[in-house]
Amino acid sequence: MASAGCLTLTRCSLVGGPPPLPRVSIVRAAYNQSLYETVRRLLVEHRVDVKGKRVVLKPNLVEFDPGTTINTHPLLVHAALEGFRAQGAADVRIAEGPGHRRVTMDLADAAGYFKTIPQFEDLFTDLNLDDVSQVLLREPFSRLNSVYFPNTALGADLLVSLPKMKTHHWVGATLSMKNFFGLVPGGVYGWPKNVLHWAGIDECIADIHSAFPRHFAIVDGVVGMEGNGPIQGNPKPAGVLVAGRDMTAVDATCCRIMRINPAGIHYLRLATGPNRLGEENIRQIGESIRTVATPFAVNPEFQDLRI
Amino acid sequence: MLDIATIIGLQNRDGGWPYRKGGGSWTEPTVFALLAQSVETGDAQSIERGLNWLRASQRRDGGWPPRPSVAQSTWVTSLAALLPPASIGHAQYSAAIGWLMGQTGEETSLVFKLRGELIGNGAGYQPRDGWPFFPGAAAWVAPTAMSILALEKARRAQIPGRIQERVQVGCQFLLDRVCKDGGWNYGRSSVLGVEADSYPETTGQALLALNSVPSAKLAKALAAAEDQARRCQSAEGLSWLQLGLQSHGMALQGPERNLPCRQLMDSALGLLARAAQRGRNIFLE
Repeated sequence: MASAGCLTLTRCSLVGGPPPLPRVSIVRAAYNQSLYETVRRLLVEHRVDVKGKRVVLKPNLVEFDPGTTINTHPLLVHAALEGFRAQGAADVRIAEGPGHRRVTMDLADAAGYFKTIPQFEDLFTDLNLDDVSQVLLREPFSRLNSVYFPNTALGADLLVSLPKMKTHHWVGATLSMKNFFGLVPGGVYGWPKNVLHWAGIDECIADIHSAFPRHFAIVDGVVGMEGNGPIQGNPKPAGVLVAGRDMTAVDATCCRIMRINPAGIHYLRLATGPNRLGEENIRQIGESIRTVATPFAVNPEFQDLRI
Repeated sequence: MLDIATIIGLQNRDGGWPYRKGGGSWTEPTVFALLAQSVETGDAQSIERGLNWLRASQRRDGGWPPRPSVAQSTWVTSLAALLPPASIGHAQYSAAIGWLMGQTGEETSLVFKLRGELIGNGAGYQPRDGWPFFPGAAAWVAPTAMSILALEKARRAQIPGRIQERVQVGCQFLLDRVCKDGGWNYGRSSVLGVEADSYPETTGQALLALNSVPSAKLAKALAAAEDQARRCQSAEGLSWLQLGLQSHGMALQGPERNLPCRQLMDSALGLLARAAQRGRNIFLE
């Protein structure tokens, strides 16, 4: 339902009859040229139909430090760009709005995006400084009734979350859903986007997830981060990509790979309910969780989430 | 770096400036384009159109929204209040200062402090009145630094009110938030007990805002700023460091590598930093 000057989005993905089981792929991967073919196969496997459509890739760009694994690896971003182009997308853009640093282009440069992705500057939108529209949230989980979102994200036919597989000191794990915090514009809310914290971090993650129902996720778990993530943790190689259309199912699968109980992640429970997070409710493709499981260290307050 | 003519050329038809070419007008780049014109050879017509856009976008509560379509006054009010009072009109300027004086971080609210006492969460930062980016959120370094600079200008312009007192509390907020390395990040010197690193841009902004604090008391911060400048990978960060150090009488040579300016904001800041090195720091006038 539209009202003057605003868009209204509801939790439409949660109503209706029982949906088919979401499919989630787990594939072994490394940061080399084979990543391009791996991503291309993932898109074919999930029958991602983007012919003639606008695709926006949303990596996780956080900090400058090239010695750590804070940011989504540029090779994965480039592989996704090429993959969606090969699937016939009319336009593929890369977009991100970092939460703490406002010098986004310099951050991307330091993270190797300029070097790895030809014409990166022309392909990239800084979501913190993009033009915005107000979106009304119907039945929000958080205390927010509306959020301003960047028009680049709102105009996408498919929004692709490309997060890093990381533990998180406030919410337990940061994966494809939490990565969408970067859609909230710093130009309106500041750096950090602290309004979301005051309104409830988990609740806002669930609200933003509801606001962007046309999504796909490829999680960079080749080398993730454990411990005091999402910034001050340690590199943790898991050697996988995890992909799918249902971000709650993708994130639940990532949690299991990290040996974290997904039912203990509050935003996952909010977004989908605890019953749908069970392994029996997700159709796993490729590697099994057991063969790639890599226990990620978590902060003491999340020890009870360990599987 | 975009020169002043190019910056002027980016002005939208409505008189404001966008963050990026072809975008809509926002308050922040409009203020910085106007400030840059004040230290370079500006264009009188462009300036007047920019000021008209700013005057028209001020909200009834005295504050400015990030852009007119956002129905909320935010920290960008502090940026608009960096312009000379006469340029935006004395009444409008006074209303902006009034709005700024009424803003504090949510952590200093009575409800939050009471809640903290009840749950035994009294440890950590002493709640002091800094400024938030967005009303109802916590206070942070960047909006606090810009608000201090705006209020200092208001005090010099003899705007009535307890401005000096508020500036001092704001300065103390910044001094409380120094990182272990001596600089500032967004505003948390440690997270869950782990020390956090500082950033060039916020270190420069904080030093600039603390220009009235004797440099001897900021020796570690000034050394951190010099160190950051050597390692800085951002033109915007380097410009803030230059401005901050200059406000304490220190000149800074940038790293040998030429850092690219990519947009209006980092270019305008570059022009302001260059002017400061020539002896005209617009933030301190």
